[in-house]
Amino acid sequence: MLLSVENLHKSFGEMNVLKGIDLSIEKGSVVAIIGPSGSGKTTMLRCFNALEMPDKGTIQFEQDFKLSFDKAPSKKEILQLRRKSGMVFQSYNLFPHKTAIENVMEGPVVVQKKEKAAVKKLAESLLKKVGLEEKMHLYPHQLSGGQQQRVGIARALAIEPELMLFDEPTSALDPEIVGEVLHVIRDLANEGWTMAIVTHELKFAEEVADHVIFIDGGHIVEQGPPAELLKNPQEPRTRQFLNRILNPS
Amino acid sequence: MYLNNLLAAADPIVDWDLFQSSLWPMIQGGIQYTIPLTLISFAIGLLIALLTALARLSNSKILAGIARVYVSAIRGTPLLVQLSIIFFGLASIGLVIDPFPSAVIAFSLNVGAYASEIIRASILSVPKGQWEAGQAIGMTHRQALARIILPQATRVSIPPLSNSFISLVKDTSLASTILVTELFRKSQEIAARTYEFMQLYITAAILYWIVCFTLSVIQGRIEKRLDRYVAK
Repeated sequence: MLLSVENLHKSFGEMNVLKGIDLSIEKGSVVAIIGPSGSGKTTMLRCFNALEMPDKGTIQFEQDFKLSFDKAPSKKEILQLRRKSGMVFQSYNLFPHKTAIENVMEGPVVVQKKEKAAVKKLAESLLKKVGLEEKMHLYPHQLSGGQQQRVGIARALAIEPELMLFDEPTSALDPEIVGEVLHVIRDLANEGWTMAIVTHELKFAEEVADHVIFIDGGHIVEQGPPAELLKNPQEPRTRQFLNRILNPS
Repeated sequence: MYLNNLLAAADPIVDWDLFQSSLWPMIQGGIQYTIPLTLISFAIGLLIALLTALARLSNSKILAGIARVYVSAIRGTPLLVQLSIIFFGLASIGLVIDPFPSAVIAFSLNVGAYASEIIRASILSVPKGQWEAGQAIGMTHRQALARIILPQATRVSIPPLSNSFISLVKDTSLASTILVTELFRKSQEIAARTYEFMQLYITAAILYWIVCFTLSVIQGRIEKRLDRYVAK
């Protein structure tokens, strides 16, 4: 398993958002995480790279890295954990004072201290991969939402993470440009990237994910292959959620 | 004699000979003292301000507390009193500092306190997602601050910091009270000799105005340059 999570807990003040999450993600697989808003799915994803600090539990990458949160981890351990994943945000969070290619180069150059010329080549090829080789010298405000999100994906890929995390990557986009971002994610799946995607796009999850996790109330309620979970859910809460999404009126 | 001089001072017509002979000493006072005093104090003041802002934003209660007391003390007391304490006060207890360095210390501390609030607010104005995006690519706190947050905070802080800078140019005239022969003190000295108070002080005012006007033009240029990455 690339990622194994055990007994993950997180609360904000009095609110218990995650109440003991156990899950594992196989190397090369795509996991879609679905659930109603407020269910804890985004918090869970953000715990995977310690953007939210879990209160309890362990996060393990393969055999070589295991971090327990039962006592507060050191800054160094948190950095080690973070550097295993790349993250794509719902609101892109591009660096507005840097051009597209500078956004992509920032991680490898500043964090990984790689040689600039080599990183530039890498960044160019990544921006080409997401279809933005023409736009690489533009600033984020000169790009559409879909283009910004694709730069966000290239920026996350540039640090060559073991795991890609997507936090509702298309939720802030106009419906007609959701497709261009999903297209890029689909390509990454075909290339064998390991990915965890929090999403509301059930059709996309069905098509791209190897595994779907349904979260509600801070628990994993049900998980399984998309064909089973989405077509033939066992748990009443899963059925209720899918019903509401598929028949919104 | 006295009366004659006073009457001459009331004469509304500009004394061009005096204008010519007084202009250069005043400009000299500006070049020798007003401008260096402004530049040096502002540079040191900005450094103090940045450290103070970071101390106030830090997790350390002690650092934040020290910073808070410093800002409160400087903002709560008149600049003229601060200058007097540093020059006359310290001298009276045996610590004699020359007029110019005294002025630099007082103005730096003053800028440091006011500008720290500007810098703190600009750092807080950068969205939380920017910190997170830096952390997500593996940056340390310090890297994210230096590479991601401060450049964006700088853009926000330029207009208010320019205000402080322009205020400082004018405030340096207070250094005249501790014997720094800057622009205004020069005009006072000449006025004391010639009794042409109106003409000399108006000349001094115009010289300050020219400097401040030039600075606000430069401010506009800097803002425009830093705005290149912001949606219009």
